[in-house]
Amino acid sequence: MKLFGKHLFRPRSIWIRKIVQWFFFLLITLISINHTLVENGGGIPFLTTASLHALCPFGGVVTIYQYATVGTFVQKIHESAFILMIIGFVLAFLFGPVFCGWVCPLGTVQEWVAKLGKKFFKRRYNHFVPARLDNVLRYARYVVLAWVVYVTATSGTLIFTEYDPYFALFNFWTSEVAVGGLIILGVTLVLSLFVERPWCKYACPYGAVLGLTNLFRVFQIKRAESTCKADGACSIMCPMNIPVDSVKTVHDHQCISCLECTSEAICPVAKTVVFTTATLKPQES
Amino acid sequence: MTITSKSLAALIFVILFGGVAFTTAMGWWATESTKEPVTFTEGEFAGLPNPADIRGSYTFGDIEKSFGIPPAVLAQAFNIQTDGPAFAIKSLEEIYATGEFEIGTASVRLFAAFYNGLPLDLSTDMYLPESAAVLLKERTLTPDQLAYLDSHTIPNPAADPSAPTPAPVQVTESAPEEESTERVIKGKTTFREILDWGVTQETIEQIMGIPMPNALTTIKDYCTEKGLDFETIKTALQAEVDKAGQ
Repeated sequence: MKLFGKHLFRPRSIWIRKIVQWFFFLLITLISINHTLVENGGGIPFLTTASLHALCPFGGVVTIYQYATVGTFVQKIHESAFILMIIGFVLAFLFGPVFCGWVCPLGTVQEWVAKLGKKFFKRRYNHFVPARLDNVLRYARYVVLAWVVYVTATSGTLIFTEYDPYFALFNFWTSEVAVGGLIILGVTLVLSLFVERPWCKYACPYGAVLGLTNLFRVFQIKRAESTCKADGACSIMCPMNIPVDSVKTVHDHQCISCLECTSEAICPVAKTVVFTTATLKPQES
Repeated sequence: MTITSKSLAALIFVILFGGVAFTTAMGWWATESTKEPVTFTEGEFAGLPNPADIRGSYTFGDIEKSFGIPPAVLAQAFNIQTDGPAFAIKSLEEIYATGEFEIGTASVRLFAAFYNGLPLDLSTDMYLPESAAVLLKERTLTPDQLAYLDSHTIPNPAADPSAPTPAPVQVTESAPEEESTERVIKGKTTFREILDWGVTQETIEQIMGIPMPNALTTIKDYCTEKGLDFETIKTALQAEVDKAGQ
């Protein structure tokens, strides 16, 4: 809100992102419940009866090999997952992994648990893992990605479902849920009390795929050195611990395009950290 | 160009739901497998649905849509206590699991073929319960079909106490895509799965008489593609799977 051209209130967070996250969380929850209801003869009118597999863009990623070699989809995967994968790539090519930061309900739930962690641990929150270990662990999700693609390609089945916390989150009330998925979901939620988005940082194979687009996406998070006060607020706010205040352009493979570091949110100087295609002015000497 | 969070939110919705709407309009969006059997391509039955392509994931509703057989008739034929369109025909195998003769998807193929006077390869054994045979005999059958029916009818479990006892007739409408952990070859079983179950590639190729394709190919699709009878191959492979599992 502005009065006589001055900010009376500066939001410290991207509130519209929270609304979008809530929307997709509720949507996926309702769809999952509806799928169960339909199997039992009921159902919610005007809502898709699709299974979670049919609406998971990562399902499209893991079926690429089989589609290329045999021309069919992995069991339980359908055209919809393939289409959502392409849409996910289009979004990521333009804006980076916005699917992670704005859409993914598992990311949203981790953020909700993180609020508790922040209350308990204040500034220590999200800084428990030693930097050297953290740096190495950040690449673990590529190992997970390689494993998931390999076992799916060789088995032709969705073996990852047995360990997928996202599937477990929206199917814990069904007989389809696997114990492995529930355990990993539980561990993820407990870790979220100490680390922000632990699944996204260290294990998510889909985040690993989308994260690569941070290297070449069209819209990028850029910091104007000429106006930057170097207060470090952007780096402190970043849920993925990216040192935004030390780079001109964020190319980190872990960025989720949440925009929490920008001048719309935590950065106190207007037009200093922005989401743009433009080249920002260099620092005046 | 610089965009704000509000613009980004709007763009996410436009691209995501716009993409879904566009692909739906183009007929590309599908969240489940097509439940329509292939049609005969030549002869007097050209254009009609081929009962040989009925799969275990089909429901009574799908059968009604393609073959015009009401779910109530199917329920009566297979002596089960539901006429709900959501009943998956693969559940018949569970219901008749302990019987000596297999009643399952192949039985529904046979019933649909005879009910509509459609051709079906009768070189393999497919069985029907007596209740189904009674209904079919009210239809017009050729002498060959009648003879096959007479030799492939098993007494209804409730009608003949000496008959092999099937599992209790309780209808559990199984999840359409629930994965079975049993080592049973079905329409969606791939070569990879039976390799994992202990059957060697040599054995598979010996049974089929042709080289095995990419292991991720489904057996049924490959049999259809190569003009092999799936039921015959399935029976032989299943015997090998059972042998390997002992």
